[in-house]
Amino acid sequence: MDILLQLIANGALLGGVFALISIGLTLIFGIVRVVNFAHGEFLMVGLYATWIMASQLGLHPYVAALPLAVVFFFLGALMQRAIIQPLMNADPHIQIFATVGIGTALANGALMLFSADLRSVDLPWARQATDLWGIASVSRGNLVAFFVSFAATGALIAFLNRTHLGRAIRAVAQNRYAAPLMGIDVNRIYAITFGIGTGCVGLAAAVLAPLYPAFPTVGSFFVLTAFVVVVLGGMGSLEGAVIGALIIGLVESLAGYYIAPDLKEVVYFAIFLGILIVRPAGLFGVRGNE
Amino acid sequence: MVAIRRRPLLGGLAAAAVAPRFAAAQGGEIKFGALYPFSGGLALLGDESFRGLEVAVEERNAAGGVLGRQVRLMKGDAVDQNQAIGEVRRLMSVERVVAVFGTYASPLAFAATQVTELQGVPYFEMGAISDPITERGFRYVFRTCPRSSDFGAATVGGIVDALAPAYGIDPKTLKIAILHEDALYGQTVSGFQEAQIRQRGLNQVEKLAYSARSVDLSSVIQRLRGVNADIVLHTGYQNDIVLFFRGMQEANWKPRMVIGSGAGYSLTDTARAVGPAFDGVMNVDFTQFAVNEQYAPGVAAFVELYKRRYGSDPRSGHSLANYFGARVYLDAVQRAGGTDKDRIRTAVLATDVAEGTTPTGWGVRFDERGQNTRVRPFLLQWQGGRQVTVFPAQAAVAQLRPQMGA
Repeated sequence: MDILLQLIANGALLGGVFALISIGLTLIFGIVRVVNFAHGEFLMVGLYATWIMASQLGLHPYVAALPLAVVFFFLGALMQRAIIQPLMNADPHIQIFATVGIGTALANGALMLFSADLRSVDLPWARQATDLWGIASVSRGNLVAFFVSFAATGALIAFLNRTHLGRAIRAVAQNRYAAPLMGIDVNRIYAITFGIGTGCVGLAAAVLAPLYPAFPTVGSFFVLTAFVVVVLGGMGSLEGAVIGALIIGLVESLAGYYIAPDLKEVVYFAIFLGILIVRPAGLFGVRGNE
Repeated sequence: MVAIRRRPLLGGLAAAAVAPRFAAAQGGEIKFGALYPFSGGLALLGDESFRGLEVAVEERNAAGGVLGRQVRLMKGDAVDQNQAIGEVRRLMSVERVVAVFGTYASPLAFAATQVTELQGVPYFEMGAISDPITERGFRYVFRTCPRSSDFGAATVGGIVDALAPAYGIDPKTLKIAILHEDALYGQTVSGFQEAQIRQRGLNQVEKLAYSARSVDLSSVIQRLRGVNADIVLHTGYQNDIVLFFRGMQEANWKPRMVIGSGAGYSLTDTARAVGPAFDGVMNVDFTQFAVNEQYAPGVAAFVELYKRRYGSDPRSGHSLANYFGARVYLDAVQRAGGTDKDRIRTAVLATDVAEGTTPTGWGVRFDERGQNTRVRPFLLQWQGGRQVTVFPAQAAVAQLRPQMGA
């Protein structure tokens, strides 16, 4: 029993990590309709940026989160304007090549600049175990990531539902041809949404930096899971991303223990396929939106 | 039986310091290939390996070269298997090298040796550890460094001969778990560890594989905790080693000892990323620089040469292993008295150097398949941020500490 509770706690916290990375991706995927294969590399850049700020400027990674999110917002918006926008009406394959190209360039740039070695933010506090009411032992950094992912999701949902800009974003997601008829500048919405999506990765990177070391290929370790989470939850659905992330996290943790660590991916992909057969648009997706 | 004059490998060093330059006594140069990954993801340790070869060659040239000619290294950049084949072809056909030195990474050695063997060009391996490289019946492929199976034997042997005595208990009472990444490297090394454990009648309680791309090893740690493992034998890369140690810290659990198998466990950056919890962790690898000079005469001199040449400390033991290998082979070519492949083979196979007389502490005695049988990796331990040799006793510079972590 003890071990089951511990595994559930580990799984839920891992789900929090996946959720943090996936919310930005689901926004871009669901609203701009671009499959951003450079998402993982943005995370990698964010981890390096946090490491530099922490080791050179002595900035606490959690303090670095906000400025990093803002800088990433502008970087994302700029990338959408300069690279994605000219391709918005092109074949989706071309967009994929563009984002894969950006990702490859970033990963190799990091290899050149930092070599293949690990760079780790030194924050022992985040890696210390803390006891959850005697039922499980988890790290503080993971708890922080878990709560930040919920807070960020809640804030984004409120933003999308309560503000004018948020409603405009949802309008574009629902119908990108009808939205301009309502006076919405669709291209501006795309740039803003892309910016918010990458801003979320910046936030995620700063929060995860104490837990995961930075190295040039770290992005590819996370990005496949993030895509699974996004499709599982329903493209563009923030609630879906969080629920999907929790499911994947729990499956990884339980299957890794009860079946075998090297088979956990088989298990979660089997569940993933099963859910898609029953609900092709994902758990919270809207039919026809996929 | 041909009588072989035993030539102390260290001799060259002293000679290098005093000998006048016999610049190209018989005129001309003798060309050898140097096939390593010089760019791409493997470049760092590929280049480090090459430096060992380069130091050995420069030392040899200062002492008159080989067969009275100056040795010239022709570099080939083997980023991947295809390029290894392309580059080694170029070295043989365009540069007309006498033999090829290499390679650091096993897949590259596999690819390149297929080509050299067909052409009958000797291949001098000094760093790739995959066993089958010298098990394919090739006549002109030789290897001076230890194999994966030697790593398995050294790890399990270390438990019996060093660790259990340090605990003061019978090794059979220790619960041993094997943990490895699930690609070729992890599969191979863990397979040999398992065979050794069975052969010695030890108690293996768990064998777990995981993908090196994992971002979470908590379920692995719970399994190890569930079987209450005393010793964990871990074969992994840098990132998963860090995840493993961080995960243990989060779970508030650790075994009595973790023993790694080279690679990520030998890198200072891994130790730095893990922090104080890495102190006391053991590892099995090529000879490192913190080794007993009595048993590895010339290791300090090599570090001096290296520093003078490159302006920094060696980045890993790879350069030392290649320096050792290059001296063995250059010496053999000299003794062969010519560049004919069969004369080189005879001379290489006739090499006879005792253990404890070279800068790595390794001896030389090749078997018919071209594998050096007088080599073994040593048992190392991280102490105070440094990897020190703790076993065998003749090579050790520090006492084995039987506990792990700060």
